[in-house]
Amino acid sequence: MHSRKPYIRAAPLSPLLAKEVREILSGRSLWTMLLLLCPLIGYSFFQAVSLYSESSSAAVQSPVLANSLSPLDGILVPTLGSFYVSVTLLFPFVAIRVLGQEKESGALRLLVQLPYRIPTLVIMKLVAVVLAWLLASVPALSALAVWRLLGGHLSFVETSNLLFGHLLYGTLVGALSLFAASITESAATAAIVALAFTIGSWVLDFTIAGQPGFLAWIAKLSLTQTLRPFEQGLLSGGLLMGITAAICGFVALASVWLPPGVPPRQKVLRSVPCILGVAAILGLATHAGWSVDVTEDRRNSFAAADQQLLATLRLPLVVSVRLSSEDPRYVDLQRNVLSKLERAMPSVSVSLAGNRHHPATTSSDDSYGEVEYSYGSRSDVSRSTSPREILPLIYNLAGVSQPSPIAGSEYPGYPLVVSADATFVWFFGALPVLIAFCWWRSHRPRRFDRYLKHEGDPS
Amino acid sequence: MASAESLTEKRGSPLLRVSGLTKRYGGECAIDRATFYASPGEILGVIGPNGAGKTTLMEAVVGLVAADSGEIFWREEPLPASRRRNELFYLPDGVRPYQDQVTADVISFFAGVYRCSIAEVEATLSSVGLQSVLHKRVCTLSKGYNRRLLLSLGLLTPHELLLMDEPFDGFDLRQTREIIGVLRHHAERGRTFVLAIHQLADAERICDRFVLLASGQVRGLGTLEELRAKASLPNGSLEDIFLALT
Repeated sequence: MHSRKPYIRAAPLSPLLAKEVREILSGRSLWTMLLLLCPLIGYSFFQAVSLYSESSSAAVQSPVLANSLSPLDGILVPTLGSFYVSVTLLFPFVAIRVLGQEKESGALRLLVQLPYRIPTLVIMKLVAVVLAWLLASVPALSALAVWRLLGGHLSFVETSNLLFGHLLYGTLVGALSLFAASITESAATAAIVALAFTIGSWVLDFTIAGQPGFLAWIAKLSLTQTLRPFEQGLLSGGLLMGITAAICGFVALASVWLPPGVPPRQKVLRSVPCILGVAAILGLATHAGWSVDVTEDRRNSFAAADQQLLATLRLPLVVSVRLSSEDPRYVDLQRNVLSKLERAMPSVSVSLAGNRHHPATTSSDDSYGEVEYSYGSRSDVSRSTSPREILPLIYNLAGVSQPSPIAGSEYPGYPLVVSADATFVWFFGALPVLIAFCWWRSHRPRRFDRYLKHEGDPS
Repeated sequence: MASAESLTEKRGSPLLRVSGLTKRYGGECAIDRATFYASPGEILGVIGPNGAGKTTLMEAVVGLVAADSGEIFWREEPLPASRRRNELFYLPDGVRPYQDQVTADVISFFAGVYRCSIAEVEATLSSVGLQSVLHKRVCTLSKGYNRRLLLSLGLLTPHELLLMDEPFDGFDLRQTREIIGVLRHHAERGRTFVLAIHQLADAERICDRFVLLASGQVRGLGTLEELRAKASLPNGSLEDIFLALT
């Protein structure tokens, strides 16, 4: 009789992952994206270095101006910004391929019969997509290396944080693309669905950002929100939770919709708990306030002496803001004071008491614009949005004296006057040629005996 | 034709039994209460013209299409859709798997998943005659070599029962005979095959028993002799029998 093996529980993952990686590498989409990224990132980098260099010219003469020159804002964010646009618009085509191709060729009907659970198949595809993202990030990473070669400064922590944000965003776009491929019959339709989501997310952000209530919550779900805190040098717990939940949600939904042979009604019913679970976690994530300022210039924190003193104020600080959420003063107050206080003090609660305010009705509510600070049994009111006025007010409420600045804690800034002309040779010449060579090399067949030694289980 | 029960008694307990399988698409009944079985080590042919419902029947049996009603039994135990891939493996028709990958890559993927040894893989490749195109991309393979690739993938799986949709499509007469020899060899070693075939001459050459399918209904089931008796055509070919019964 034909011998049976205990294969069902012991199927190795490496052949599956290798197959998914090969599927991405053997297609044109990833290599085309890489070739397009070279000039895009190269030009962004060139522009960023040129502008940074111009700003640095004045700062070299005056150290006071130098401390406003941070490579995070000047080089990293604009250079990786073009990578973000490419990932949004091009990466779905790469990610969809790992599933769409199998659906179109009929190979999916073979795949789902293999001894893997459906979520395992989807997760392996996502891992391959993340590996493809890592490959696609080579031009961006090379830009950072070129910046260092030019003598530029990079802070390890803030650079890592920003790259981590881009990795999460790429994974999210990849998971979304896999879900789109799972619910559609062709790769072209899947691409339309994925792009409708990503580009629709931009539209959502433009149209309802700053609106009050539920619309504000919806705007927070926009994909464009995912990178902003990382670009500001923040590592936000709520954002991490939200992105992770969204990625897991898309993987779960793709697992529900992938298998043929399950009636659509059953798939819809199975999707409901996934969607509710993710919505609940996203709801929690928007209220999770934990975040860390990882910037070298501590732009998201008060001065070091203030941070130390505020951390010792144990009583709850209650802030009641009589401003509407779309009021620019509230945005300033939130960015300059409230978010920093929330990170510095053990207990801060902020309530927004203002309704939508129109200049024509100003006379009807004189208290509009006031912010009341209560600490212990004492309270005070201010209309300022500047920490220079608000911190002394809080110290006064707490009965402590203003701290003396800590010497040596000032951010020096990193001005650099340099020409980036030579980088054109790398981004428009050497790197595309290198990528084209790797593309050609990846298509060369290997000897067959090496295939089996690599992936099989030779006996 | 002898009843299913009497044939079961002759051949022992069936490996796979399909009972009352029905699949509707809207108001149209693609498969209408199909009932048949496959015994260990036999080659069962599902015979019918294009549009008879062969592919739907095969996909409903393995669970790739959701059946509206009916049951599948494996060694007389109910086999739910979620567990069918543990016991059955189905090779669909018209599939060109992983077109941009090299043929050897696709083979090594299956060999890796099922932990096949190099000797097993080489024996399979040799038996189906695939070695000469291992370095080629799947998209460049001829229809016949793509069919050989699919056959290799099926033979690399450890499943006792393989279902194949149009396994000889793309082969000429000589190649068909070669592949019949390969399948016969595996059947003699205990593997069971259920083959959906629309070429009656090919089916007559290879199959031990037949399921005659027309308009989604099983019109006949049994060996050629049993079907001849049912159709009252003592010397009739499968073609004559099929025309008489459908």
